[in-house]
Order: sequence, then C-alpha cells, then structure tokens
Amino acid sequence: MDEELLELQRQFEFAQQAKSSIRLSDRNVVELVQKLHDLHIIDFDLLHTVSGKEYITPEQLSLEIVKEIEKLGRVSLIDLADATGVDLYHVEKQTQRIVANDASLTLINGEVISNSYWDTVAEDINERLQECSQIALAEIAAQLQVGSELISTVLEPRIGTLVKGRLEGGQLYTPAYVSRVNAMVCGASRGITVPTNLTTVWSSLQMLLQDMDGASGVAVESSFFQTLFNSLVKDGEILGSLRAGVHWTPAVFAIAQKESVDSFFSQNSFVSYEFMHKLGIPQPIQYLQSRYPEGIPLESIFVHPSTIEMLDAAAEDAIERNSWIDSLSVLPASFASQDASRILSLCLSVHMAVKSNKALILGDSYVFSMGFVKDLFDRMEKEIEMCNLSGFSGTVRDDLHATEEAKTGKETSNSLADSNENFNVSSTNKQGFEKGSKKRKGKSAGKTGPAETGPDTQEPTIPSKSKKNQRKGKDTAAFQVLDAKSGSKKELDRTKEDNLFVSEEWLIQKIMSLFPEFDEQGMDDPETILRPLANHVRPMLLNSWKERRKVAFTDNAQRMKRVLDNLQRKIDESFLNMQLYEKALDLFEDDQSTSVILHKHLLRTTASSIVDTVLLNLDIHNKIKNGIEIEESQNPESKSLTSGERLPFAKSLPGLLSVKAVALVESLEGKSVETFLTAFRALAEESGLTLKKLDKKLERTLLHSYRKDLISQVSAEVDPVPLLPKVVSLLYIQVHNKALQAPGRAISVAVSRLKDKLDDSAYKILMDYHTATVALLALTSAATGDDEDCSSDRVLTKRVLLEGLMPELKGLQNNSSPCPVRFLLMEGFEENRRRLSTPADSVNKLY
Amino acid sequence: MEGWDPNTKSTLTQIPLLTTKAGPRDGAAWTQRLKEEYKALIAYTSMNKSNDNDWFRISAANADGTRWTGKCWYIHNLLKYEFDLQFDIPVTYPSTAPEIELPQLDGKTQKMYRGGKICLTVHFKPLWAKNCPRFGIAHALCLGLAPWLAAEVPVLVDSGMVKHKDDTASASESL
Repeated sequence: MDEELLELQRQFEFAQQAKSSIRLSDRNVVELVQKLHDLHIIDFDLLHTVSGKEYITPEQLSLEIVKEIEKLGRVSLIDLADATGVDLYHVEKQTQRIVANDASLTLINGEVISNSYWDTVAEDINERLQECSQIALAEIAAQLQVGSELISTVLEPRIGTLVKGRLEGGQLYTPAYVSRVNAMVCGASRGITVPTNLTTVWSSLQMLLQDMDGASGVAVESSFFQTLFNSLVKDGEILGSLRAGVHWTPAVFAIAQKESVDSFFSQNSFVSYEFMHKLGIPQPIQYLQSRYPEGIPLESIFVHPSTIEMLDAAAEDAIERNSWIDSLSVLPASFASQDASRILSLCLSVHMAVKSNKALILGDSYVFSMGFVKDLFDRMEKEIEMCNLSGFSGTVRDDLHATEEAKTGKETSNSLADSNENFNVSSTNKQGFEKGSKKRKGKSAGKTGPAETGPDTQEPTIPSKSKKNQRKGKDTAAFQVLDAKSGSKKELDRTKEDNLFVSEEWLIQKIMSLFPEFDEQGMDDPETILRPLANHVRPMLLNSWKERRKVAFTDNAQRMKRVLDNLQRKIDESFLNMQLYEKALDLFEDDQSTSVILHKHLLRTTASSIVDTVLLNLDIHNKIKNGIEIEESQNPESKSLTSGERLPFAKSLPGLLSVKAVALVESLEGKSVETFLTAFRALAEESGLTLKKLDKKLERTLLHSYRKDLISQVSAEVDPVPLLPKVVSLLYIQVHNKALQAPGRAISVAVSRLKDKLDDSAYKILMDYHTATVALLALTSAATGDDEDCSSDRVLTKRVLLEGLMPELKGLQNNSSPCPVRFLLMEGFEENRRRLSTPADSVNKLY
Repeated sequence: MEGWDPNTKSTLTQIPLLTTKAGPRDGAAWTQRLKEEYKALIAYTSMNKSNDNDWFRISAANADGTRWTGKCWYIHNLLKYEFDLQFDIPVTYPSTAPEIELPQLDGKTQKMYRGGKICLTVHFKPLWAKNCPRFGIAHALCLGLAPWLAAEVPVLVDSGMVKHKDDTASASESL
C-alpha cells in the first residue's frame, strides 16, 4: 500500500469527519423571515425583489418610484420594475396609488408622465418650431414615442403660451409662417380670374413652398390652404363664389362673364350657346333664361324676340310678294339651319301662312309663298308640256330606253335634255346637249333621223318599237285591239317613264334655269334648297302629268276607236265591192290577156283605194296611239297615194302589222287579185279589222244597189266616153249578175262577150257606140295644136255622133230582160236617127 | 454544460481535475489515479463542508479502491432522508463512468435500473466522455448523484414511497 495513498485516505477520512461550518443560507433566512411572519413579529407587508435576495417595504417602493419619476418626469412601468427590482405587479399597484394621489402625474400606456415633462417637451417643441417655422405633429409623436393624438391634446392647452405657433391639421406653424402662407393664398386667389378647381391651386402653392423651403420643407396640407382661404373669403379679402368646396369662381370673372353676355346679347339680340361655352357657362339655356326671361332658346342659339319679329316681317313680306326667302339670309350668320326652322316655327305670320296654306317651309330655313310655288309649278308644267308635245313620239321613248340601258347618273340628265333637244330643236340649244344627243344617236345605231336620207327617215322608230313590244311581252295583234285591256299595264310603264322623265336632277336644272336668282344668291350649294323644292313640286308635276296623260289617253282611245270604226265602215263597203268585182273576173278566166288586164285594173283602182284608206287610217291610229297630235281636219279619204308613198306608210306601222302592210302594198303591184285579197285579209286580221264575206243575199242587194247606182249614173251621164264602160257594166249585171269593172282596153272584149247574150240590135248599138268612142278617143289623143280646125271638127262630129248614140245606149240598160231592151232600143234608135239628121241643130245646141 | 443548475456548475468547476488515465488493472498508474481521486474527493468534501452543504460519506471498501460504499442524504421540508450508497469502479474506468447504486430505493422509482443503479441525465454521459481522464469519482457524485437526489427525493417523499425514519419509527412504535 502506498504511503501516500494511505495518507490521502486518512486525510479524506478526516475531511469527512470534520465538522462542517454552520452557515445561514438564503433558504434559512427566508425560512426565518417566514417564521417571524408566522409568529406576527413582523406585522407589516413585506415585498421581495425579483432576485429573491431582498425584502422591501411598500413605502420604500413608492418612495423609490417617486424618486425615479422625478428624475425625468416620464418613466415606463417596466423601467420602474427593473429599476426597483420588484415584481411588475407590485410596481403597478404602487404606481397607480401614487398617480391617484398626485394630480400632476398621469399614467398613459404603461408610462407615468408628469406635467413638468410635458412643459419641457413643449418648450423643446417651441424651440424647434421657431427654428423650422413648422413641425408635423406626427414627427413629434414619433420622436417622443407617443400617439399623435396624445401630443395634440397635450399641446393644445400650451399653444399660445409655451408653444408660440398654430396647430393646423396635424401641423404646427409659427404665426409668421402662417401669415406668409396666408399671403400666398391671398395672392394666388386674387390672381385667379377664371373659374378654377382650388386643389390645383393648392398643389401649385405646395410646389412653390417646397421650392422655397428646399428639400427639408415639410409638405403643407391643402386643408391648411383651404382654411386660410375660407377665412379670407369670410373676411371679404377675396371676392367670388365657392361651389362644392373646391370650385372657385372669382367675382371678377362672374362680372366679366355677365357683362360680355349682356353686351353681346344687347348688341346682337342673340347669343349662341357656343359663345356661352367659351365664356365658361356650362348650362347656357338655364343661365340665359333666368337672366332674360323674354328670350327664346333655340337649338344652338338664344335669341331676343326682336329677331323673330324681324324674320317674321321679312317672311311676311316674301309671302305677300309671292316670292320666297331664305331665313338664314335674314338671320345672323351664326344661326344654324335647325335654329332657322325653330325660329320659323315661332314666327306668327309664317305659322299662320303655313296653316292657311299660303306658305311652305322647305329645307328648314326656306319659306316659299304658295304663289311662288304655284308659279314655279305652272312654269314647270309648261316646260314639261313642251317636252310632251314631242314626248309621245317614239324617239323620246327610244331615248328613254337608251337611258334606261345606259343607266349612268350623269347621262340621265343629259339624255333627258336630249329628249327635249331632239324635238324642240327650235327651243334652247346648247352645245353640250347637242354633243350628248349625237352620242346618244350614235349609241342607238340605225335610229339616226336626219342622218339617213330617203324613205328611211321615219324608219328609226320601227326597230325600237318592236323591241319595246318584245319587252312588254305582248303580241302585236293585241297591241292594238286590246288597248283597254293592256291600258293599265302600259300606264305602269308610263309612270315609270314619267318618273324618269321628271327626275329630281332635271327639275333642279330646270328651276335653276327658270329662276336664276337661286344661283345668284351665292349659296354654296343651291341643291340644299332646290332639292326639297324639286321634291315638293315633283309629285304635283307628276300628278298633273299623269292626269294629262290619262286624259290624252282616253281621248286618244276614243279617237282611235272612231278612226277604226270609220276605217271598218269604209273597208266593209269597198271590200264587198272588191269581192263583187272580183267575181266578175271569173267571166274572163278563159281569156288570159283580158283577165290580166282586168286584174290589174281592179288592183289599181278599187284595191289601191282600199289600201290607201287602210294605210292612212292605220297610220293615224298609230299616231294617236303614240300620242301624237293629229289635226282633226286632216281627211284621209282625200289623199291618194302613189306606190312610192305607200311603202313608207306601210313600214311606219308597228311590228308585224308593218310586215303585213308591206306585203299588201307589194301585192298591189302584182297581177292577181287573189294574192291581194289574201294579203289584205292578213293585214285586216293583224290590225283587228273584220272583213265581211260576200254571201248570196248580200251580193244580191249589193248588185241591186250597184245596178241602181249605175243606172242613175248612166242616166245622168252626159259625157259620151265614160258612159260606155258604165253601160257595159250595167249590161254585165243584167246579163251575168256580176259587177264588172273593166278598163277601156278591156271594153271591146267585154262588149264582144256580150254578143250572144244580147239582141243583135242592142249589140249593134253597143258595138257602134264602142267603135265611135274608140274613134273619138283616138282622134282626141291624136289631136294636136297644129291642125286644130280639122281634127277638132272631126272630134266634134264624132262627139256629136256619140252624144246622139247616148240615149240609145242609155236605153240599153233600162230593160232588165232582153226583149224590152230591144224594143226600147229600137225606139231610141229612131229618135237618135232623127237627131243625127240635124247635126247643125245638135251642134248649135251643144255650143 | 447547459442543463445543469448554476450551483452544480460552479461547484463542479471548483473540483480539481484529474490527470492520470488509468483503470483498476493498470497497477501503479491506477495507484496514481487513486491518489488523484482522493485529492479530488478531499477538495470536494471540504468545499461542501465550507458551504454547509455536506451530503455524503464514502470510503473505499477494498484495498484496491475498486469498490466504494457509504451514505448520502437529502434534506426535504427540514427532514433528512438518508440512503446507503455503493458503487464499483469498472475495469474500463475512467472511460466508463461508475454506476452509482442506491440499493434501498431499488424498485421504488422509475428513474433507476435494476439493482438500484440510478438513471443519470442525458447530459451526463457525453459530458463524462468529453472530459474522459479528468473527471473522477468526485465529479461523478457531483454531476450524477446530487441532481438525482434533488429531483427524486421530493417526489418519492411526496408520493409516500419513502418515509422519514422518524415516521417509520413512530409507526413501528405505534404498532
């Protein structure tokens, strides 16, 4: 065992045995104090510190707290608890007691603050304020770490005493500063001459202040400006009115505004709202109405009643003078057309006139007297009439059709002018129009009237006619017959054309030319008035135009009917005769040459007269139908046409009719009556005429009448030459019951044919007469001026001889049967003999 | 060192540290170590006594000084509760701390292993390992047993597991 170890063992033993020093530990002390408490030796409250090492009496604590408060004047409870080392609970309790006992102390947000502290703070603030001239409360509050509300409540009683300044909207200002800003506000407000939103002024003032104070300058609340401003207004330092708190209208502005409105209105007796807007009056009507109750508000202008009176007078004058007036020309330039119409409605006389149909307001501002409109209407009507005279002719239509086809707006007026121009060549001629018309003519090729010469002059209508017919989708037969039926449809067509004819542009042009003052007015756009005027007049014109058309149409229809009836009557008669004569031709069927002659004769005489009548009548009918005026006096019967004339007539007829007509005319030149008859029937069918067939009864009556006619003719006849064919015809009727129309050349054949039908004596008389006639005719034709004496003598003797034979010849026909004829002939013959024996007497008798 | 109450800490720092690293099987080195152990214990005991905080008596139970026995006590509510104390020096000492046993309290508390070995705080082991050769028996008592007693005895007393000897005596007397 190690010595040292043993020694250590012993030492340790000893150390453990050693009496431990008796110490009164903290715990013991605490226990002791507690024991003392329990034993009531200590009979007062004892507090112990947080460390637990100390005991403290409440009195001492409150003493210490007071001492602590007095040091700075402001201590937080937490700081107190730390400083005294006593639990916060006790500190709080103690502090509350102290504060309750001392009025100069306050406990705010866990802090004890004495009044003296506030005084020092206020003094500090004052110092700073005098330096900076303004301090924000928020800044102070942040510095002192108290609520700004608290600061303001604390500072308020001290302002004016400790703090020399002014509290405004959370800012402290020195009086000097306030007065400076006040001066700024005053200056700025006085500088304002127009209505302004004050906030903008304040913001600019703020900028100004910031510039002056430099970067450190504290922003001035605009409410500060506002309060200063309000006080200024209240004191009457600045004049004006404040609206909604921020809209400042300076008095000077209001005065100027009023004055300018006053002066303008009194000078011009009107004020435009635009002008008011320029003056800054947002609701001019209310403003003006409140100011000038007698004024009248219009669309864009406010007028004095005197303006209305003036206009009224002018309009009345214009109405009375049967003229027109543009109210805008009377009113000042700033009047708009709406205003004009408004003001016109207020004019008493105009109102009355319009009501009583004496005036007309067109295009807002134009007042037309009815007289003027009527005059215009009449003149326009005349103008249209002028166009109408020629307007019915086909060419107008052509032009119209062409126009329709062209359909170019500009050309419309041109072509309309053309239509005038083409047919009123005598009237206004303008170079441009002529050009236009030429162009038009060029367009509708083949329609050129004067350019193409010869018989084609009237032709141009035909193709277009047919075209039109095709367009209407009507067959040509119906075209004439079914006038009444198709009338309505045609009318529609016509109205369409009329509309085109009396177009607005045309009217405007016409009005312009009729009333040049429209143009002279220097109106920038005469259309503005002319168009409404034209629009107003146009329906009336169209109406009158239509009426005339209707009248003309019915008139024409009647006339057409009359013409057709006439024609029918004539044709009936002559066609029956024609048929009658045609029958007689049968007798000469066997004799080719005579037959030809007879055919030709018939065609040339009866047939051509029929054709002429038909053609002329149809032409008239056609013309009437197309509205061309025909002189009533014109008598178609009086005319007889040459073959050259017939053809154009035939071709001028419309459509299929013309084809038929042309065929008919050609058949006239032929040799066969049959072809003529078929052609004629075709034409009649085409033109809607009815042809009567020859029946037995009719034939008999016709023959009878013909015979009677012939007999009377024969008995009345004094010229011996024409007597012969009549007698021959009469004989033919008696013998063959057929009406023969024979030319001179065919007479001999006709007479020879009668040979076996008549008595020898009668035949002889006939033959004698015939030969005598032939001789006479031969002599007459051979007679010339040179050997007048002998030839004329001979002619004379022959004539006398013939005249002597005449009664015999006349006698021939007086007997219907052969026997009495003979008997009578004998008698007459004797008598003739007797008369012939005394030629001198007869000659004497003759001369 | 956090987790220890300030008293324990200040005390611990005043206990002299050991230098020799030797176990019971190291012969002379162990003797040397034992000497240092004694010195530390002497210092600790005297320190406790001067602070009027004497709380244990131990002595080596064999010559080698590998087994120690003694008594420890704790004053609660002005009553002294005394327990037997014993522990062995493990062969791996000083790397392994000695396991202090309070056989009287075996089975009376959960903070104890079978056989009455006390459960030390979680802080003890790492602290010991960190100061491997320098901590000795004195440190183990100071860091291990003293806090354990302070924590456990009031609980045991309050729960009635441990009764003061006077009470037991009076109880037996009354029986």
